[in-house]
Amino acid sequence: MKQNHFQKIIRGLSLTSVMFVFQACYGTPQDFGYDVYLSGVVTSAVTGKPIKGIKVSVENTSQYELTDSVGTFNMYVPKLKNYKVVFEDVDSISQGSFVSKDTILISANNSIQVNIALESK
Amino acid sequence: MNNLQKYIYRQFKKNETAIHELNYLFWECTSRCNLSCLHCGSDCSKDTSFPDMPLDDFLKAIDSISSPAKNFTVVLTGGEPLMRNDIEIIGREIRKRGMRWSMVTNGYIYTDEKHNALLNAGLGALTISLDGLEKSHNWLRNSKHGFTRTERAIELAASSARLNFDVVTCVNQRNLKEMDAVYNYLKTKHVKTWRLFTILPIGRAKNNPELLLDDFQFKGLMDFIVEKRKRKEMDVKFSCEGYVGDYETKVRDGAFFCRAGINIGSILIDGAISACPNIDRSFSQGNIYTDNFYEVWQNKYQAFRNRNWTETGLCEKCGEYKNCQGSGMHLWHGGKENVLVCHYSKIVK
Repeated sequence: MKQNHFQKIIRGLSLTSVMFVFQACYGTPQDFGYDVYLSGVVTSAVTGKPIKGIKVSVENTSQYELTDSVGTFNMYVPKLKNYKVVFEDVDSISQGSFVSKDTILISANNSIQVNIALESK
Repeated sequence: MNNLQKYIYRQFKKNETAIHELNYLFWECTSRCNLSCLHCGSDCSKDTSFPDMPLDDFLKAIDSISSPAKNFTVVLTGGEPLMRNDIEIIGREIRKRGMRWSMVTNGYIYTDEKHNALLNAGLGALTISLDGLEKSHNWLRNSKHGFTRTERAIELAASSARLNFDVVTCVNQRNLKEMDAVYNYLKTKHVKTWRLFTILPIGRAKNNPELLLDDFQFKGLMDFIVEKRKRKEMDVKFSCEGYVGDYETKVRDGAFFCRAGINIGSILIDGAISACPNIDRSFSQGNIYTDNFYEVWQNKYQAFRNRNWTETGLCEKCGEYKNCQGSGMHLWHGGKENVLVCHYSKIVK
């Protein structure tokens, strides 16, 4: 009986350690998962059509992504309390010309979806 | 560690071995490399004619894992993983499955744009190799611009609070004396974790004595790590390459435990299923092209889970065997008649 109790304690300790502590000798440190999945679609407020080439970035981070041909973007960004996401038209007039916009988002879980319509200049 | 602590730690290891949870999976996704390092161990065991493994083949293998561990991580390694042009796609596919991923790189083509794309794809941890100050690094890496390129990679990694990253250094005769200077250099680059390795006498290193430390130098390296850890300015540690007796817990966060095949698996370039990629290929447990990966993980790996077979050669009559258990699995080659290097014997001589 005593031995069973001891084994349970050891097992508990084992699982905890496996979650956080080790690293293979030629491998990387463990990832603690400090990020959030940010995704969405950018469209024109006038036509409703998706816009390609809009730069989407999060203030106070160096990360950015450009929207694809169907206006979508998706990126993992650092876990923060809230996010100021900035949308900028950076490709001159090749896809039309749009006014930049930003929005504040609050992270409730591990993913955030945001769809934005940009006004034409 | 006192005897009671050692006893508890042995029970802990025993239990971990029995649980055998897969937490950490290496994928040797390419054998191509953009450098030709003097110490590379690969030329003794790897056929560089292997093409990169198609992503779909790897995904099929990891999709066999019915219930991945909570923090299950795929570690991309090579060769140089960044030689592939689909790393971001790979990363996103791994994250789609609720798993995490990380990468080991020489940093040579880790540019600002690549850093951004990798973070966007959910890269969570990174290891970058820096083998000394400029002259020593470029000598070992056999590259004129290696240091400058790697320096930029380190700056980028350090600028990202999201990344858990470390710098690794292979200590040898040429760079041993500049370890203090490297330590100070890494501090200026805001590096938080620095891991030190020695070089094994395998591959290209076998016939180059300049790469290998003698016992006195090895002990000096342990003392260096102990002293730097006391300062608590940076997390300096010895790699888990071998058991180091009384230095255990003084040179690392925890005591030695080779988790190869216990919690660590790998899928190698030819589809072989094994543990850490630096382990002798004869330890392969199956192949993803003929076997179900997760069935192999669950039902095989006996040589990793029961290491009694290592009680031979130098280990046979060693008083520390029960704590060391044959040291690292990567130290057993060929006929497995003797451990390739005994770190413990280096420090007790």
